[in-house]
Amino acid sequence: MDTNVRMILFKEDQIDHAAEAIETLHTQGIPEKDISVISGVPFSEKILGRPMSWTRVPQIALAGAFVGFLAASLLNFLTPNLYRMTVGGLPLTPIPTSIVVTFELTMLGLLISTFIGVFIETISPSYGPKGYHPKISDGYIGILFRCPTNVDEKTCLELQDLGAEIVNPAEVKQP
Amino acid sequence: MAVDAKSLIGSQAKPHHEMEAEELRKEHLLLDPMPREEMNQMVMDAMQTTTPRYWAFVIGFGLAVVVLLFGAWGYMIATGMGVAGIRRPVYWGIFIVSFVFWIGISHAGTFVSAILRVFKAEFRRPFTRAAELMTTFGLAAGALYPLIHLGRVWVFYWMIPYPNSRWLWPNFRSPLVWDFLAITTYLLSSTIYLFLPLIPDLAMARDRSKGWRYYLYRTLSLGWRGTEAEWFRLRKAIGIFAFAIIPVMFSVHTIVSWDFAVSMVAGWQSTIFGPYFIIGAILSGVSAVVTILYILRTTMKNFDYFIRPEVFDGLGKLILIFSMSWAYFFFNEYLLNWYGGTAVIKKILTLHATGPSAWVWYVMLICNVAIPWLFLWSKKVRRTPWLMFIITLLVNVGMFAERYTIIPLTLGHQRSPFDWGIYNPTIIEVSIVLGTLCLFIFLYLLASRIIPLIPVWEVQEGQMSHTLRKVGKTTMPSVTELE
Amino acid sequence: MAENQNNEKWGMVIDLDICTGCQACVTACSMENNIHFVGEDEMAYGRGLQWMRIRRYWEGEYPEVKPTHEPMLCQQCGNAPCESVCPVFASVHSEQEQINLQVYNRCIGTRYCANNCPYLARTFNWFDYELPSPMNAYLNPDVSVRSRGVMEKCTFCVQRIVKGRQKASAEGREIQDGEVTPACAQACPTESITFGRLDDPESRVSRLARNDRGFRELEELGTEPRVTYLKGGMSYGG
Repeated sequence: MDTNVRMILFKEDQIDHAAEAIETLHTQGIPEKDISVISGVPFSEKILGRPMSWTRVPQIALAGAFVGFLAASLLNFLTPNLYRMTVGGLPLTPIPTSIVVTFELTMLGLLISTFIGVFIETISPSYGPKGYHPKISDGYIGILFRCPTNVDEKTCLELQDLGAEIVNPAEVKQP
Repeated sequence: MAVDAKSLIGSQAKPHHEMEAEELRKEHLLLDPMPREEMNQMVMDAMQTTTPRYWAFVIGFGLAVVVLLFGAWGYMIATGMGVAGIRRPVYWGIFIVSFVFWIGISHAGTFVSAILRVFKAEFRRPFTRAAELMTTFGLAAGALYPLIHLGRVWVFYWMIPYPNSRWLWPNFRSPLVWDFLAITTYLLSSTIYLFLPLIPDLAMARDRSKGWRYYLYRTLSLGWRGTEAEWFRLRKAIGIFAFAIIPVMFSVHTIVSWDFAVSMVAGWQSTIFGPYFIIGAILSGVSAVVTILYILRTTMKNFDYFIRPEVFDGLGKLILIFSMSWAYFFFNEYLLNWYGGTAVIKKILTLHATGPSAWVWYVMLICNVAIPWLFLWSKKVRRTPWLMFIITLLVNVGMFAERYTIIPLTLGHQRSPFDWGIYNPTIIEVSIVLGTLCLFIFLYLLASRIIPLIPVWEVQEGQMSHTLRKVGKTTMPSVTELE
Repeated sequence: MAENQNNEKWGMVIDLDICTGCQACVTACSMENNIHFVGEDEMAYGRGLQWMRIRRYWEGEYPEVKPTHEPMLCQQCGNAPCESVCPVFASVHSEQEQINLQVYNRCIGTRYCANNCPYLARTFNWFDYELPSPMNAYLNPDVSVRSRGVMEKCTFCVQRIVKGRQKASAEGREIQDGEVTPACAQACPTESITFGRLDDPESRVSRLARNDRGFRELEELGTEPRVTYLKGGMSYGG
């Protein structure tokens, strides 16, 4: 089955129309994985009737926090034993001071790995139709979908009735 | 008499609730939406307009950084710490005062973009990025000081934990090593927290630029399209950051305060230093945000649409609250030491208030307490940007004086009167301190023309969730939770 | 640090009743330990590098004004506050001599130790002080010459302690009491400074430290200083 990738744009205040348009696409039998919505402000998936997205950033963040904690424990309890030097009546590896180092390095691990998670997920390949239009950053809501050629025209006419602006395939850019 | 007596009914041409709606729109940015296209254009305009005056400032401050900061610092490295005014017993002088000052200023951004975000204070939306930039550059300026004040700066890297053939690691029981770890954590986290919400705006800038700017923004925006997955991931990451960076912010300034509090210096052994320094830092930081916002509002194109008197009003109230909290902590410490402290501490308190440098103590109290308490009650004062500019500048002068009181004045008056000494800052020290201020301003000037300073997507998000609703006989703003 | 079975514990007793404040100890210490001359202006601003200083206070009303002299030096605390705050371990506790060591080539000059010393016993090299030749011929080869940016303080003439220990072990015996004297004790004309091992209960210094007139400076801070001062005041004929 041949499919075309199409993009339609809705103005920023036409959220309801966008939601209805997505429903239209559903009734045309276009599966969720062939639709992707891009926008200049975040819209909750529930608003547009879409399945929730998933991300693994929180888990990566926790893993990073654990790595930070490990690093801190090594620095606190291993390194003074490598070359023992007594200072000021303090024990070699006191716990109160190690709490400070542990806290800082755990938080560092957490926050850096959050960013690394975002970065890796961003550069990883994503599913759904690719495509972009500069008007998105002007606040438009864009809906990309893979439309089977046989229902192509009918779908486009229906969407135009809802107020969508159909983007010529030649104008669909990459970011 | 050529006075037109306007009839009361005739002058109200519009219905009452419509006039109210107009006033509300003028007052609140989030109730006064503009099409996103126009807002984008305004921000891009502001970013890409450079006047000769701007270049004069950039070159001026750049030269100042080279001469005042690097020139004086280079001279000090080559000749020795003796060119500074530090001496026995005041081994830490204005460098450490500035260090604490800049770390304090850097709390501004986190307070605005993390704490206000967590508490859903919507008025924070237009200026989170300007505040976050202050954090990053404040830390950049402040993090120089642990290097500047070192006697042998060329071996500073011994403070960094790295494996070496001698199996020597830094002393993790020392507060200076905690300082190093805390500031590194905070600097990296702040920069990332600045970058994450910046990505969608960089994508917007990418779509509207050409030439070197286009390539820069294309690389930095990481191919942002605005898909649901991208937004969801960004939301999650910003959420983690907002909650996690608040304890980091508290811990950083607490650790800086522990440089003093864990020592045996009379007057520094105080359990209240942690919270006291944090409150002082937030007071200093929020005041600095107001100062910068005033400058941005008056010098950047189109910014008076985004930064309205409501911002100064809201921040002014916060400054008043924090000034009161600061006064509470200060008085707490003062009373306990004055009442039942050891002889040394009582003498130090007397010195602070009546000694040769007592004017510093009075400057601190007047600027931190008297001025906010006298002026920030008045709504009119809070809504006048230039008045807020002056008041907040004075608050920061007062906070600098506070750190000066705590560090050199206390160090000079310890347990043995034979060893008392007065600290006189030299021109090299003052030059380096001014140099870091110029560095901060220089970096900010550059950033204002490289990245968009207003997070337009956040403003639009806020505008979408705020509507005017007619309730009874009046119109009121109403907030929808779009998340 | 090699942990010896017989770790020594060096200590000092200074008798304030016979100290005349002549500053011979200060001079001898400066000569022994290659302490730089800083010049008059720097001295006036409190930048003198002397490891030992005489604290002089005036007591009484005119015409019965009397000075009191107290030689103040690094107390070599058992619980030294200067050690725990150094970020690079430049200030460590010596296991063998039980004194506080300053490692010049590790010091990066944060000056935290100087702030944390309640006795203000530490000094800092503010500049590279020039000694034009042939003046530098008087430098003691046993003691390093410090560059700018480095902290320094009294070491109980550790170079003499080590020499004494090496001589004794070469001759196959223990260090005898009174064999090792630091420069200040050697130069004192009234012999008010006594130096020796506190871990030997019968040494001169231990017996003097148990004297009724003995007190330690700022003992209430818990620093466990190794220097005991003897002061009886007028009633002991001082």
